[in-house]
Amino acid sequence: MNTTPFTSGLSENAVVITRVARGQWHALDDDLVVGRGHAHHRPDGRLFVSIDAWHDAAFDRLAEAMRAELPAPLYTVVDEADTELTDGWLRAGFAIRRREWEYAVPTDPRVTGLDEVLPPAGVTIVPAGQADETLLRAVDRAVRDEVEAAVGWQSMPAEVIPFPEGDTIVDPSKYAVAATPDRYLGLIRVVTVKRPRIGLIAVRAGEQRRGIARALLAHALGTLHRSGFASAWAEVQESNGPASALFAGVGAQPVGSNLELVR
Amino acid sequence: MSRAKNVIEVEGRVVECLRSAMFTVELENGHQVLAHISGKIRKNYIRIMLEDRVLVELPPYDLSRGRIVFRYRN
Repeated sequence: MNTTPFTSGLSENAVVITRVARGQWHALDDDLVVGRGHAHHRPDGRLFVSIDAWHDAAFDRLAEAMRAELPAPLYTVVDEADTELTDGWLRAGFAIRRREWEYAVPTDPRVTGLDEVLPPAGVTIVPAGQADETLLRAVDRAVRDEVEAAVGWQSMPAEVIPFPEGDTIVDPSKYAVAATPDRYLGLIRVVTVKRPRIGLIAVRAGEQRRGIARALLAHALGTLHRSGFASAWAEVQESNGPASALFAGVGAQPVGSNLELVR
Repeated sequence: MSRAKNVIEVEGRVVECLRSAMFTVELENGHQVLAHISGKIRKNYIRIMLEDRVLVELPPYDLSRGRIVFRYRN
């Protein structure tokens, strides 16, 4: 356990920053826990930190202690509407790296305009639960490699679930795919816990701009609509123009945004 | 219930989603607090919705506000 005293002004006693376990810090004021810090690695290897403190002073001291002990670069995520927390990270020297919009996506074809959208000739949509697992993994791997070679997967919406080595398909039954007789061209993943979330929609680089993503979205939203869901949600990196246009084109509305910060 | 020394944690239910990433949570005793999402939850992309059952941490010196530190599955 590492213990470092800091003068905080919270009380007559000093705030004590204590590393209580690997990746965990506490700020103690007069033996009360007035703040906590956490650090953990995302599946992509990046180190993300978070701080919850009841006072700016405790936040600042925790940030200072964590920065001193952890290797750069450090990342964090904040709700852009949470200005107090965002300001705390900016004070700690973090800078905004990217913005991710949360969209509420309607499912009603009368709203989305997708009721008559079909895949291009020679392409069929295979519903979720019916995709061939080998072909599914192949298209997923191909798309991820293409993204990594271009903008980099770190610019995509965050993945926080730890995957087995080299395997990014947790549950094949959640994917619908666009298929030709010999291979899959694109995929869409929809997972419903309380409300449906479109976690991934992607098309092989050489097959883009043919309306495949729109056909996959039409299929997924139509299925949700028939199941009684009025809307789904999705996250889109602000700089991802094609994805933003795809969702805006079906009447999706931004309902919030997350900022990823780095130092 | 409490998971850490000197930390007040109470179960509650989200009864209102407000702007500025804040929520009104009704605690087990009927008391309502204004709560925000903990950075740890945000970091893990856990979404809080109306009617969610949550664990709220209360500051030791102000019981009118809180921080959502856990969302129960059901």
